[in-house]
Amino acid sequence: MTTPAVAAAPDERLARRSPLRRLLGRPELGALLGAVALFVFFSLAADAFLRTGSFSTVLYASSTFGIMAVGVSLLMIGGEFDLSAGVMVTTSALVTALTAYQLTLNLWVGAAISLAVTLALGLLNGLLCVRTRLPSFIVTLATFFMLAGLNLGVTKAVTGNVASDSVRDMDGFDSARAVFASDLAVGGVTVDVTVLWWLLLVAAATWLLLRTRAGNWIFAVGGAADSARAVGVPVARTKIALFMGVAFCAWLSGMHLVFAFATVQSGEGVGNEFYYIICAVIGGCLLTGGYGSAIGAAVGAFIFGMTNKGIVYAEWNPDWFKFFLGAMLLIATVVNLVVRRRVERSS
Amino acid sequence: MRRATTRATVTVLAAATVLALAGCSDSGGKKAEETPGAGGPRLKIAMVTHSGAGDTFWDIVQKGAKAAAAKDNVEFLYSADPDGGKQAQLVQAAIDKRVDGIIVTLAKPDAMKDVLARAAAAKIPVVSINSGATESAALGAIAHFGQDESIAGEAAGAELKKIGAKKALCVIHEQGNVGLEDRCAGARKTFGGQLQNLFVQGTNMPEVKSSITAKLQADKGIDGILTLGAPFAATAVDSVESTGSKAKVGTFDLNKDLIAQITSGAIWFAVDQQPYLQGYGAVDQLWLQKTNGNVLGGGRPVLTGPAIVTKDNAAALEGFANRGTR
Amino acid sequence: MSDTPLVRLDGAGKSYGNVIALRDVDLEASPGEVTCVLGDNGAGKSTLIKIVAGLHRHDTGTYTVQGEEVAFSSPREALDLGIATVYQDLAVVPLMPVWRNFFLGSEKRRRLGRLDIPFMRATTRDELHAMGIDLRDVDRPIGTLSGGERQCVAIARAVYFGAKALVLDEPTAALGVKQAGVVLRYIVQARERGLAVIFITHNPHHAYPVGDRFLILDRGRSIGYHTKDEISRDELTGLMAGGAELEQLAHELERGLRKE
Repeated sequence: MTTPAVAAAPDERLARRSPLRRLLGRPELGALLGAVALFVFFSLAADAFLRTGSFSTVLYASSTFGIMAVGVSLLMIGGEFDLSAGVMVTTSALVTALTAYQLTLNLWVGAAISLAVTLALGLLNGLLCVRTRLPSFIVTLATFFMLAGLNLGVTKAVTGNVASDSVRDMDGFDSARAVFASDLAVGGVTVDVTVLWWLLLVAAATWLLLRTRAGNWIFAVGGAADSARAVGVPVARTKIALFMGVAFCAWLSGMHLVFAFATVQSGEGVGNEFYYIICAVIGGCLLTGGYGSAIGAAVGAFIFGMTNKGIVYAEWNPDWFKFFLGAMLLIATVVNLVVRRRVERSS
Repeated sequence: MRRATTRATVTVLAAATVLALAGCSDSGGKKAEETPGAGGPRLKIAMVTHSGAGDTFWDIVQKGAKAAAAKDNVEFLYSADPDGGKQAQLVQAAIDKRVDGIIVTLAKPDAMKDVLARAAAAKIPVVSINSGATESAALGAIAHFGQDESIAGEAAGAELKKIGAKKALCVIHEQGNVGLEDRCAGARKTFGGQLQNLFVQGTNMPEVKSSITAKLQADKGIDGILTLGAPFAATAVDSVESTGSKAKVGTFDLNKDLIAQITSGAIWFAVDQQPYLQGYGAVDQLWLQKTNGNVLGGGRPVLTGPAIVTKDNAAALEGFANRGTR
Repeated sequence: MSDTPLVRLDGAGKSYGNVIALRDVDLEASPGEVTCVLGDNGAGKSTLIKIVAGLHRHDTGTYTVQGEEVAFSSPREALDLGIATVYQDLAVVPLMPVWRNFFLGSEKRRRLGRLDIPFMRATTRDELHAMGIDLRDVDRPIGTLSGGERQCVAIARAVYFGAKALVLDEPTAALGVKQAGVVLRYIVQARERGLAVIFITHNPHHAYPVGDRFLILDRGRSIGYHTKDEISRDELTGLMAGGAELEQLAHELERGLRKE
């Protein structure tokens, strides 16, 4: 069947085609090229863009999308969507602010209660999807509506207003703010703590995806759930865990909301779920699941933050803001697509 | 995509509200028949606005309306939908319920024209509030309670000028909202300096913050910020602090945190259109018309604002704001 | 060959709602033997496999593994008893690299839950090479391999992970003659290693050379259960094709051809 000569050959050929091909085969490469192109573009178009202060603002904006994009991208690789992710951030923030204020608790206790509640919401999303076998698009659309209604209804019932009461002067605010919403000077550059959380989450998610059994399972349940089940992968548990991962990211973002702004508007967060998904898609995640990376989603969030703020730095006519935003996203996605197609054709 | 979802959310919520209200009103009506109120016949008044979910402003309007309703022995029904067509359907639902009076906002006057004609045919008096001062009379409303956004903008521009700003931002938190654009345009008229519009995504506070921060970094010459809603003023102050900018912040609308920040000097002024008065006035107007044939405003819009709140008078309003009525 | 068969079904049946998919079927598979299950589409072959593999539970009859009665609630449980199943269409996750597919569900880990990637890559390459598949790059998505290669990866995977019984669902169905030959050769290899092989196919020409026992299914029932010495290839082909029906068909086809 196989001659020794052929048997010896593979390693040689592998070494010859490997480095470039490996790089080109990465899901995040297209997004990375798009990000570089955008960076160069805005550097030329906007004087203020290259200042260090501006860069930390861009990073901050990216991180607020990026933290959620980590959870959402893992979920997408696992083959599911979570449309409730945007309002879940608000829910998480409201739970902290309302419980702590109404029961006069230390804010850390409020944060802990919120973590439990938010993870339970993720669990609920996951259980509903797994048990009913309905598309997650429908299930989480339902929870999206329910959460948006609960945010408003509960807040109004409890406080009599549509925003939570300010928790700025309560116990634990300062220490929690240091953890979730402070900024640090790193080598003369101000870096928001959310950026550190973001990078930490991306690193953890990348390690999880590529170096652990759980990561293998995530790719498998998204790529071919039946095959995965057949070889003994606990598909239901993996998917539920992914929904809870999104919930954890929502909690982290929610804590930033509470401790950065002290009061939480109950109507906030609607529509953000699509931005998270867009970040993941720009970063190379397949809408159908089974392919993608956390680093890609981070690059996607960076592209998003850069475009969003770059337009402000370039001081373009704000009437055209959304047009430019859309055009930038289109360009980034097309670059991504072209690169991936080229790689697929050559391999 | 986002807009559609927002609208869909609101639709579902509004539908649920309508259903709930419809359920309530039946029992209320019966109760009213059995035990007529002391202050005259019990009336049923419906308010239909273009509010989205979770807006502080409309919450205060409702509180004013409810206070007047309690005083006048009125059963008050509230529903809202930001979509013009759906808002008209809600008005139709109120007509079908044979209410004694209807309060509407005229954010999209063309969408409301037909349904208000049907209200007139059914001999139900209509009062318009908030937006639509110019269309109000033509559409058959007996009175209008609201703030002229241009006039309010002019007042804000004058305040900005008074605090010494030369180059300011007008932060628009909902792109394509004509009322918000009018405020900025009005402010530009009286401001004298340069006033630029900045668009931010109002449903995403971190985005609001980073956009204002970015703008302050891009243009160090900015020395004034005018936000068009209370929650955004506090965020603008955060951005000013984090960039070390010298910009002074003023805002439209009011809430209790804002009053604290005006007292402390972090925010220079607030232009209040007194939403409480819009709800209160409209219910009272309908009650007066029914019980005594009175009309307020002499055929012209009754202006509920602008009322300027600065450090000088903020302390006096603190108690009211804590109650959520200012 | 031991006295108690590794896998044994007695009077097994399964219905979905009011559709009876399988009724009163006996089957046994012993180490070092190949048991072939033959039948046309809809004969109940896949239901039978799903019961053996632990995807579905049987409604009637008994299922014993090494003499112990079992009722699996997941494929994992079957796998733990050494019963590995290789499916025709859902054997692998196409977008994942070959080595990740090879170890999927049974990943080799080092301390702290870290995957032992060099080991898994090398093992995959070696195991496939032993089977006669020379892969240049085990990092290739498995979807880029040919159908036969994919089947072999799945079979090699099952054997590597210590399967005692190997259930093969139509492994040769979508393959060309040459590739089918490769897969058949590996079935024989697996038998010689002492595995009990259950080989599902609709092709008696693939089944006869490798099989020791033959179960023929038709519309959810057993229409024959024979050892190799009881039945000839022609008899098997006849049974499989439903004898008289095939003659009828040949007749009709000839007539049709003459008309044209």
